Amino acid sequence: MMGGDRIDVPSGIDPFHPALAVPVLLAVVGLGAVIAVILHRKVASSLAGTGGSPATSAAAPLREARWLARQQVVTTERPDLATWILAPAAYLGLAVAALSVVPLSAGVAVADVRTGIVVFGAAEALAIVVIFLHGWSPNSPYALISAYRFVAVALSYELLSMFVLIAAAIPAGSLSIGAIVDSQAGLWNVVRQPLGLPLWLVVSWGVTFSGPLAVVDSADLAGGGGVEDSGLQRLAWAGARAAMLVVFAAAGATVFLGGWQGPVLPGGAWMALKTAALLAVLVVGDITLARMSAQRFVRLAWAVLLPLAFLDLLIAGLGSL
Amino acid sequence: MIDVAFVVFSLTAVVSGYLVFRVDSMIRASFLLLASFLNVGAVLVLLLAEYLGTALLFMMTVEMIVMALFMVMFMMNPAGLNPMSMVHQPRVAAVAGVVAAGGIWAVALFAEFPDAPVVDADQAVRDLGFELLGQSMLVFESAGVTLLATMVCAVVLSAARGRYGDGYEGSVAPPLDPGGDHRPEDDLVDDDAAGDHHHGHGGM
Repeated sequence: MMGGDRIDVPSGIDPFHPALAVPVLLAVVGLGAVIAVILHRKVASSLAGTGGSPATSAAAPLREARWLARQQVVTTERPDLATWILAPAAYLGLAVAALSVVPLSAGVAVADVRTGIVVFGAAEALAIVVIFLHGWSPNSPYALISAYRFVAVALSYELLSMFVLIAAAIPAGSLSIGAIVDSQAGLWNVVRQPLGLPLWLVVSWGVTFSGPLAVVDSADLAGGGGVEDSGLQRLAWAGARAAMLVVFAAAGATVFLGGWQGPVLPGGAWMALKTAALLAVLVVGDITLARMSAQRFVRLAWAVLLPLAFLDLLIAGLGSL
Repeated sequence: MIDVAFVVFSLTAVVSGYLVFRVDSMIRASFLLLASFLNVGAVLVLLLAEYLGTALLFMMTVEMIVMALFMVMFMMNPAGLNPMSMVHQPRVAAVAGVVAAGGIWAVALFAEFPDAPVVDADQAVRDLGFELLGQSMLVFESAGVTLLATMVCAVVLSAARGRYGDGYEGSVAPPLDPGGDHRPEDDLVDDDAAGDHHHGHGGM
């Protein structure tokens, strides 16, 4: 998709050169992931009242990453090695692919294709497969249970994501995320479709298995999907997950908070501010909200949240008449 | 560039489709089938069927997850990691496969395909929308409602609780010793719980 010369992008949007696009995206995602991890520790330590200890300094995550990268990688009996090793890379790749359709400022997108939200949704759906395979492949019971449990949760939040994105596309009259940002010139979607952003937060916690939907690498399964990971594998998985969190914050900022639009400051700065604000909400929720049991979430999702997503779609449709 | 991409995607689609029948696990088979579909989706994007291609990616992804999950759930291989054969009736399947492939090749080689390059891709997406909700609405909606009914039935079948009570009611645990009839519930000493079993909400 990226920079294909026969796919003409909507007018006014200049895609980066493909050779430039991948490093730019990786840099954005990498920097964002480091910020997300540092933010997570700062908020957690200030909520717990343990600020100022060495473990909460900004350099601590980087030190720990360097330490993890040098640890021995251990393996299990008869794992599916290929999927196990490739899962973190594929998860990061999906985060980067999803970000490629999100405009970072007016006209600054790698591929603001006309089917932007469909591409984003495809990356999100493939993330379910990758997270499942990551838990399935070590051939280890807790990891396997977490993988199946995650699929039950994931199938329940996946529909929410589709409906809120479609609702945002209705006033824009386009599936392109750039067009969705343009459609919010008068009024942001967070006001126009008030149910959209809260549901998006649920989806974001689901895809990054954090906060109320921390059903994958959770303590109740002794580490779950990550229980058999070690060394570089553990680091790669944690990094990819932080990257995915940033991508969902960025997408939420464009779809619900008007993206690059705002007075005085340049578009990129507004986009960074809004992404950071949404990231902060996601991180605080991750730390403060208790994990729901998968069964309770599935009931909640199908009985309450899905009707709310329909209502969101109805509001969007009536508003555009 | 486009030609190279086409060759890579189509070869990957064929090879991963072939591997579906060579691996020994339902999970591997499901996701190799998904890999095949993803490459077909990429070929559709190359053909400028941008919406169909990208929609195929995510429809097939969710579909294959559901398929893998339900296959593993309703079959005897609880994890999908145990080796098991992925083929049934190999002779019949081979004959059917060769006949079907021959038919498709015949169409590919001998049919007259229209040569009408897509000029305005936005118009193509719009036309597709009007087709799905116009001329083809009956077909489209019948398929949609059937799929929805299937999903609801699958959820009802797999739900632990339903309007007729606990899904485990009346189920009998396997014996603790192979071939014997000593069952876990025999060890329960709670008479009330045992009594409740017998006088439960009949009506089955």
